[in-house]
Amino acid sequence: MAKLEASDAVVFGISIDSPAANNAFAQKIGVTFPLLSDMNRKVLKQYGILKMYNVQKEEYDWAQRTTFVIDKKGVIQSVEEEASAINPNNAVAVCTKLPKK
Amino acid sequence: MRSTHFKTMIFAAALAASLVAGAIRAQQDVKVTHTSLKAGDMAPDFTLLDNQWKQIHLGDYRGKKNVVLAFYVLAFTEG
Repeated sequence: MAKLEASDAVVFGISIDSPAANNAFAQKIGVTFPLLSDMNRKVLKQYGILKMYNVQKEEYDWAQRTTFVIDKKGVIQSVEEEASAINPNNAVAVCTKLPKK
Repeated sequence: MRSTHFKTMIFAAALAASLVAGAIRAQQDVKVTHTSLKAGDMAPDFTLLDNQWKQIHLGDYRGKKNVVLAFYVLAFTEG
């Protein structure tokens, strides 16, 4: 994370949890970046990563784990889904290659 | 006698295996929505509340910072 901040990037975590739950989660895992609440799934729909889960015959929709890197012009530089999105090294690599100014 | 025992064990093992396979299938019954966004697209703007109940506008970072958005499944899980 320090590497990301050094490469002039801000990091946001996003899930459908409430701000209160996210705050407790942030304290528990000790993250220093903001965790955003998409409680009405608006952004998940905008970004097309709402995933349907069938749990005991009821359908629930949560986020698909995805990492986006957006440059200073607002252009998406990389999209990583599922397992590859767990490791932040690629996001760091993308950010360090972006122009500083 | 011994072979009957053996057959019973094989049958039980096969039954257990099929039950486990069924349970795994049930858990994986998900409809995956892949994002249609790709590198080179404009990132859709948004406003969301952070964990301090403060509004965050993605657009505020344009021209200032690179932004990494990490979408995760649910808090307090390994997701």
